[in-house]
Amino acid sequence: MSSLSAEMRDKLRKWREENYRNSEQIVDVGEELINEHASKLGDDIWIIYEQVMIAALDCSRDDLALSCLQELKRQFPDSHRVKRLVGMRLEALERYEDANKLYDSILQDDPTNTAARKRKIAILKAQGKSTEAIRELNEYLEQFVGDLEAWHELSELYINEHDYAKAAFCLEELMMTNPHNHLYCEQYAEVKYTQGGLENLELSRKYFAQALKLNNRNMRALFGLYMSASHIAASPKVSAKVKKDNVKYAAWAATQINRAYQVRERAVGTKSPLI
Amino acid sequence: MGEVELSCVAYVKMYLHASLFPHCSVNGLLLSSSPAGADVCITDCVPLLHSHLPLAPITQLALTQVDVWCAQTDQRIVGYYQANASVLDCSPTPSALKIADRISDQCSQAVLLMMDNTKMSVECRVPPIVMYERRDSRWTLKDKQMIMLRQWEETRSIASQLLDSRDRTLLVDFDTHLDDITKDWTNQKLNAKIAELASTANGRL
Repeated sequence: MSSLSAEMRDKLRKWREENYRNSEQIVDVGEELINEHASKLGDDIWIIYEQVMIAALDCSRDDLALSCLQELKRQFPDSHRVKRLVGMRLEALERYEDANKLYDSILQDDPTNTAARKRKIAILKAQGKSTEAIRELNEYLEQFVGDLEAWHELSELYINEHDYAKAAFCLEELMMTNPHNHLYCEQYAEVKYTQGGLENLELSRKYFAQALKLNNRNMRALFGLYMSASHIAASPKVSAKVKKDNVKYAAWAATQINRAYQVRERAVGTKSPLI
Repeated sequence: MGEVELSCVAYVKMYLHASLFPHCSVNGLLLSSSPAGADVCITDCVPLLHSHLPLAPITQLALTQVDVWCAQTDQRIVGYYQANASVLDCSPTPSALKIADRISDQCSQAVLLMMDNTKMSVECRVPPIVMYERRDSRWTLKDKQMIMLRQWEETRSIASQLLDSRDRTLLVDFDTHLDDITKDWTNQKLNAKIAELASTANGRL
């Protein structure tokens, strides 16, 4: 296999595995790979068709989406997985009723089909029906309690509804099952900070610190630590010891921030505004 | 309430920001380098976020940083823009109103600008924006006649030229900056590119 097509294949795999939504790039690379190098892909071609089809929908490239879909339908005529892609195309065309009927028929055949259930929730979200989407997603999670993607989606829906307590609960579930993920810690800390009040600020500071322990380059966590510690230190309700400790944390964070920006200045050659 | 003028560079960056993150809600701050007066002249904008808009820490951080930068560069924060993820809904969210309130505490002429997603096509005859102003502590729709965008056709053409070219990836918002602090959220390179296109377009802007 030529190294160019191998390189393209690797890129697509990376984007697939890490769930990137860089749809234009996927379409660029994927379309070329399919048109010029299909023979070299072996069985990989089917998963690439699926990936490119979804990216094509994201870019309004219905022509490309349809051609990928047709190849998949031909190869896997009775597949629920392909049927779900047909549904996604209907969603892209805003034919939500037709899409729902399709997903319902999948679920009649196979009530445990999580993909179809999640698509139905995605339709509710697209239609602006957040309350229903939240309710359905909660019901889904009662059955499929280990679905991380669903917990994260639910936390986002709650954040958009300004229901921070429930968003925090979802993030707690995520942190419990993924204690090494610095992003969940940092998002949890942001939600706590947003809720406000001394207790929440202290929690937020702790979780910003935890995120930093897991990834010391997380700038949001560093800034978050600085801000939460500063607010706690400035609060009239804290003891002298707590104040002193938080002044120390804030000072440490400020030094780290300044250091990071100095490195940046050297790298980029221009000064940036500093707090 | 006086007139509001929106510059080419401010509009183009807002448009690119919304277009580069089509599945996200995006927001940003509107700036002016003109002195305070009856009319508001929006001369620039700073794209802020494309994720977790309602959460406080990064928004507060961004507001502080932009404030500092404005003081250094003789600009003022005069407004806030947002483009919702949902195509159908272009009404201001509670967090949008909150930020706009905060800005209007410092700037009595503050404007709140929502992008109208349904009108964001290449050939839109009018700018796809809906503007609000603060009257009696409530944000109300501004009279359309009072919003000026000089040379709309040129501005619109510059916006779509940039969107189609590689240069669109020059746009940096605060979120992107936090992911990689070597990226410049003041968008100097992109501003220069827009100015270049504008001067080729017609000499004055």
